[in-house]
Amino acid sequence: MATEVLPDDRALRSGRRQRALDQMVEHDLDVLVLGRQANVRYVAGAPQLWVAGTRPFGPTCVLVRATGAVHLLSTWDEGVPDDIPHENLYGISWNPMNTISALQRIDGAATARRVGTDALSPVFAQLLPTSFPNAELVDGELAMRAARRIKTAEEVGALRDAIAVAESALAAAVSELRPGVSEQILAGVLLEALAAGGLSTPSNQDVAWVTSREHPWRRVNGDGRIKDGDLVAFSAGVLAGGYIGEVGRTWPAGVATGAPALYQRWDSLWAKLLAACRPGAAAGELLTAYQAAGEPAPPMPVARGLGMGFDPPVVSKHLPASAAGERLEPGMVLAVTGYVWDQGIGAVFGREAVLITADGPEVLTRSPSWQA
Amino acid sequence: MTTFAQAGTGNGLVIPETPDLARMRRDTGARLRSAMAERGVDAMILLGNNSVVYATGTSWPLGDAGLSYVERPVAVVLSDDEWPHLFLPFREGASQESDLPADHLHGPVYLEFDEGVQNFASVLADLIPPAAAVAVDECTGAMSRAGKLLFPNGSPADAATVVSAAKAIKTPDELSCMRTAIGITDEAMVEVHKRLAPGIRQIDLSASFLRQAFELGATASMLEPIWQVMPPSKAEGVWTTHGDLALPLLSTERELAEGDVLWTDVSISYRGYCSDFGRTWIVGRDPLPRQQAQFDRWFEIMTAVLGVARAGATAADLGRAATAANGGSRPWLPHFYLGHGIGVNAAEMPMIGTDLGDEFDEKFVLQSGMVLVLEPVVWEDGTGGYRSEEVLVITEEGWIRLTDYPYDPYGH
Repeated sequence: MATEVLPDDRALRSGRRQRALDQMVEHDLDVLVLGRQANVRYVAGAPQLWVAGTRPFGPTCVLVRATGAVHLLSTWDEGVPDDIPHENLYGISWNPMNTISALQRIDGAATARRVGTDALSPVFAQLLPTSFPNAELVDGELAMRAARRIKTAEEVGALRDAIAVAESALAAAVSELRPGVSEQILAGVLLEALAAGGLSTPSNQDVAWVTSREHPWRRVNGDGRIKDGDLVAFSAGVLAGGYIGEVGRTWPAGVATGAPALYQRWDSLWAKLLAACRPGAAAGELLTAYQAAGEPAPPMPVARGLGMGFDPPVVSKHLPASAAGERLEPGMVLAVTGYVWDQGIGAVFGREAVLITADGPEVLTRSPSWQA
Repeated sequence: MTTFAQAGTGNGLVIPETPDLARMRRDTGARLRSAMAERGVDAMILLGNNSVVYATGTSWPLGDAGLSYVERPVAVVLSDDEWPHLFLPFREGASQESDLPADHLHGPVYLEFDEGVQNFASVLADLIPPAAAVAVDECTGAMSRAGKLLFPNGSPADAATVVSAAKAIKTPDELSCMRTAIGITDEAMVEVHKRLAPGIRQIDLSASFLRQAFELGATASMLEPIWQVMPPSKAEGVWTTHGDLALPLLSTERELAEGDVLWTDVSISYRGYCSDFGRTWIVGRDPLPRQQAQFDRWFEIMTAVLGVARAGATAADLGRAATAANGGSRPWLPHFYLGHGIGVNAAEMPMIGTDLGDEFDEKFVLQSGMVLVLEPVVWEDGTGGYRSEEVLVITEEGWIRLTDYPYDPYGH
């Protein structure tokens, strides 16, 4: 982060925008109307105010295939790249009718035949036909997802930077781990470290938790204080330059009896997960890796694409058919989760970022793990 | 010390010291079902994080939007069932789930994917009768593709307006959560304020705030903290579509210099309920007489607005009082408002003085239990202007102020 609010680098921006335009051709879309922050940043390349949680759908960015023009909801031009001229900025509005009028004036809106949106609310489902009177409204998120799933070289660089920030914040939180400290304090330490590193935009604020000794994944109903022998999971995540850097680790507080055997189970699971991260492999092999290791599938997705938000593939035991239908390809970056649990001991949770290359997986995360 | 005369002390609205979370969920559930009945809605599917918090009473530290779309809790509210159904991903909401009966707690749904929507539809088929009038706050692409399956009775109605109507009036336990959130914020800012000095970076103030807020019990940061350095004049400020000031501009590693005028804005949540904080600070100096005059004007405007704020007044009444106290021009930025509601969202209805128009403001009648954040803005080139935010609960007699933070270095 710098001392000024700057647009994303030109190469990063143009590579992404081209991928989005290619997918518009592929999906036969004349216009994309985007409301999701990740999609907006992907196409526009302008930093936006970070607000926690999902936002309701609203037309925040419009990409016109015929002209390549980007129109952006922004009342000011700070951080807006120079390829989005002032006349393409439309200001914050609380009245959807005014937003609809702004979209109506976009060159190409009147003649568009197919308009993709990345989500849709009943209100905008009703209003958008006014802006695009000759268009059929269709799902545009599939096109955006197809664009986002493979990262450009510049994007991989941005992800490496984001991961480095998350890892240094993780280290700060782990260094404060001791019996008696609370989950809440550890979260505060991690968020403070992220901000001191230049970023007040966490991707995750559920930072540290005592893993349950009684239930495979349920939260411990205590006062949030860490006791001697607890296995404490850390999940550090940051949005840096628009990209999510994530890393997960589990550290014992004090002396955790039985922990070495559980960490060994994690290690052998991880070896199988990493082996499944081959170009051409079915994403479902990541689920099979758990079976092969003799571990039950974890409560969270085994893997999901890492980028500006969630990207395909999302590999979860709840979506077996989707996982089986996805192939890993060079240029994908995955957040892969290893999770093992033992009654009376707790869980070991670890999350690594893995870049799929033509030669196999490259693990981008480097945080140390606990060693017996 | 500068303060506003508290209106209607000893009034009927009592805010409990600590929230009763089970009662809160019961009360918000009743409000929600009543808003559904008024609009003829039999069932609602809620995807938005804040709406799920409101409907189910669950809360969790909200994450970045990008990840929140794929791993998010989903709620289904039925008009004839006092309990909502909650579909929970791993961890999110896990700490507050115990209140719901086991048959209303479900595993995660992945509505971004066709397979996930098919699974969800088969559960919904058992919950929602085919002829029911269904509302939804948002559809993913996969949901739109499966529209006929999810909504056999035709296009769904808008659930956002139902939730918005229900949550306009806060229950006493919601007010208690909000007062705690605001108390945490105010207390955290005391420490941040002490660190304000030439040479400190904007982002250092954010770091200090986040650490303090979490130590004091914040559930999540709701907004990347803003420490905007105001320009010497509008003309020298960032270009805007309307020619007025830009706000909020993002924080960076920029070092603050002596005499910089900062407009600050932060928000955290406590058990799903938000705080809002805004003050104007000057780095390393006391205000010059011209700057103090900006504060005095702001104080007059706030006093005028508070003079008319009570149950029964309209949003337009507040706007008129503010404008009159500002010599006839609106003391707020064209892209924002004189004030806004707050609750599970850091900003929610009503927005006062926006492009929703005068008719909206005239028709919006304040009621006891509504919570407003008032944030008039005063500006004169060469001063850095003045902006502060005050959070109030509207009562029959007037209001209860939830913000408790001094105006240093301004004030009397």
